[in-house]
Amino acid sequence: MTQRPTWQIVLRYILVLIVVGWFTFPTYWMVTMAFKPKVEWSTAHGTIYWVPQNPTLDNFETVLTEYRGRFFRANQSSALPSIRSSIIVSIGGTLFALLIGTLAAYGLSRFSTDTGELPWYIALGRLGLLILVLLPFMVLWAWLGIIRYWYGILSFTLLGIAVNQLLDKFLALFYRGPTGSLAFSILQLRMFPPMAIVIPVMIMWSAFKLIDTWYGLIAVYGVVTFPFVVWLMKSFFDEIPRELDEAAIVDGASNWGAFFKVVLPLAKGGLASTALFVFILNWSDFLIALLLTTRDWPTIPVFLNSLVSSEIGAQHGPKAALGLLAVIPPVVFGILIQRYLVRGLTFGAIKR
Amino acid sequence: MASVRLENLRKEFGSVVAVKELTLHFPDKKFAAILGPSGCGKTTTMNMIAGLETPTRGFIYFDDRCMNDVPPGKRNVGFVFQNYAIFTHMTVAENIGFGLKIRGVDEATIRREVGKIAELLELTDMLPMNAGRLSVNDMQKVALGRSMIVKPRIFLLDEPFSNLDAAFRAYMRGELKRIQREIGQTMIYVTHDQVEAMSMADYIAVMDFGVLQQFGTPDEIYNQPVNLFVANFIGSPNMNFIPCYFHSQNGQGYLVQKHGNARILLDDRRRQLLERHPGNQDLIWGVRPEHLTLHAEPSQPEYLRATVRFLEPLGPKTVVHLELGDQDTIKVIAHPSYREKTGTVQWIEINPKYLHIFDAKTGLAIR
Repeated sequence: MTQRPTWQIVLRYILVLIVVGWFTFPTYWMVTMAFKPKVEWSTAHGTIYWVPQNPTLDNFETVLTEYRGRFFRANQSSALPSIRSSIIVSIGGTLFALLIGTLAAYGLSRFSTDTGELPWYIALGRLGLLILVLLPFMVLWAWLGIIRYWYGILSFTLLGIAVNQLLDKFLALFYRGPTGSLAFSILQLRMFPPMAIVIPVMIMWSAFKLIDTWYGLIAVYGVVTFPFVVWLMKSFFDEIPRELDEAAIVDGASNWGAFFKVVLPLAKGGLASTALFVFILNWSDFLIALLLTTRDWPTIPVFLNSLVSSEIGAQHGPKAALGLLAVIPPVVFGILIQRYLVRGLTFGAIKR
Repeated sequence: MASVRLENLRKEFGSVVAVKELTLHFPDKKFAAILGPSGCGKTTTMNMIAGLETPTRGFIYFDDRCMNDVPPGKRNVGFVFQNYAIFTHMTVAENIGFGLKIRGVDEATIRREVGKIAELLELTDMLPMNAGRLSVNDMQKVALGRSMIVKPRIFLLDEPFSNLDAAFRAYMRGELKRIQREIGQTMIYVTHDQVEAMSMADYIAVMDFGVLQQFGTPDEIYNQPVNLFVANFIGSPNMNFIPCYFHSQNGQGYLVQKHGNARILLDDRRRQLLERHPGNQDLIWGVRPEHLTLHAEPSQPEYLRATVRFLEPLGPKTVVHLELGDQDTIKVIAHPSYREKTGTVQWIEINPKYLHIFDAKTGLAIR
């Protein structure tokens, strides 16, 4: 190998520095901002403070202590309730999604021939048909004036499920091959932009009196992240040979026993990374929490948004301080499970 | 221990019929093998016996008890998979003791039983090791131990040795047979390797395309194959097949080669048999390479003339490929020192005792 000219090496490092700087500067700015006193937050005093001149913990004190009316847009005067709220709903939503998602993934992996694959025209066609068939019913429900009540919503949901099932049978009359796919339907849940579904969810939640409750948020987070859990865990389960379940079953274990004693322990690496992924999604969600909480259960991102005072406007320092605090849980979680994140625990179980 | 009886067992996967009306009886305390090429339905049969697959039709009996509705965990069978299915998140001891733990046996008993099995399989030193770190050979031993510990009534082995290296495979064959004899365990062994089946089994069931071809002792399978498939599948190198027809002349019966003029004189019993056989103009005679002898001179009139094509020196023996007539090839096993050149004329002696005759249309043996 020939030695590269010095200028090439230098140029390469300069490029690397630019790219790294581009991506890490916001983080740097947030971290330093958290420790800056009020005068250094902006250029109002004529200078940009690249480095905090007089580092202080005042910002942390501001967000963490109670002082009624300090932030006029917030319903709470300290960040503590929102931290509690974030922890409860993120962990709760993650556990909920993992519980049902992992079981669903195991079912799809072992007891179903459903590969999740549909030709695009069938996938699109059945979605179009579903909307077409349900639309008149929706108008009817609205005309009857029951769409706003829990029984209206519940009956319409059940109708939707029934129509969805009937569509499979209907399409099967004209098309040989897979007309419906549970795995695909689950994935389809994620195909709508969150903004499109969050308004209906808000109306439904208000009918079910779930607005501004921790369980209401957990339910939404669980459902929204459920498809990720199913598809990620399914791929992990698919990698674990079926013979392992069968061996456990022949040796006397039940299906549940084979799942909990053999398959799940082997998939714990996958479970850990899925949990981290889902937790981060829940933890950083802003939109859903903004629309579904009011007074008691705003999460950290929602509270951050309201850190504005009548005196000087946006409270950059406290925002950065809370942002810095909010980074801690995912990072700690990630470090705790990093040894499980290493793939390859299951390899060598079987010779193919 | 128990015997296994299959009655009209059938398994369909969609439009594919994996096993067709299989009726079989595996005797108690015997070592039986299911032998066939891949895709012949042998693993499906095994899975149905274990309860991992539900038969489409038909019945499975252990002794006299119908097992169709008994869940796999309650059938008390041991199952060793081709790919071991070792639980890599457990130690060797935990793997071997798994079946007992599931059954709620107390720790002390488990430890004692695991110790016994480990000793039998020479795994004692490895008990505390993580099972995922074992060599392939040891993994297969652990898989055996895990199935043995529950004292199964029937032991099912699905090509357990096909991933092992050759020397260890031979060793394990011997060990398995020894264990089987010692504890009088009913064993059913699935394999596509005829040597494994012939060397270990008391009984062999040969299957093809989901249909049972023949069930019998290794001797019967080898010496009295019921059809072309079994005759061809068993034996290495495989049997020679020469298309021929029946011809009778002056009260003597002959088999005459279709693509040549080789003739084989038949004994009276076979002559009478073939005279009555409707398809006697479309026959195949078969004889194993090991039952043929080569001679340099036609010292007997019934020797067949053939020309050497090429040799396959295998060490302990040499397989000689010769041309018989226009287009038929015939293999003969000769002495390892046999070194005739291509094109040399040789005379083949056939021992009529080992001659097999098949109907070319149905493939069935005529005897």
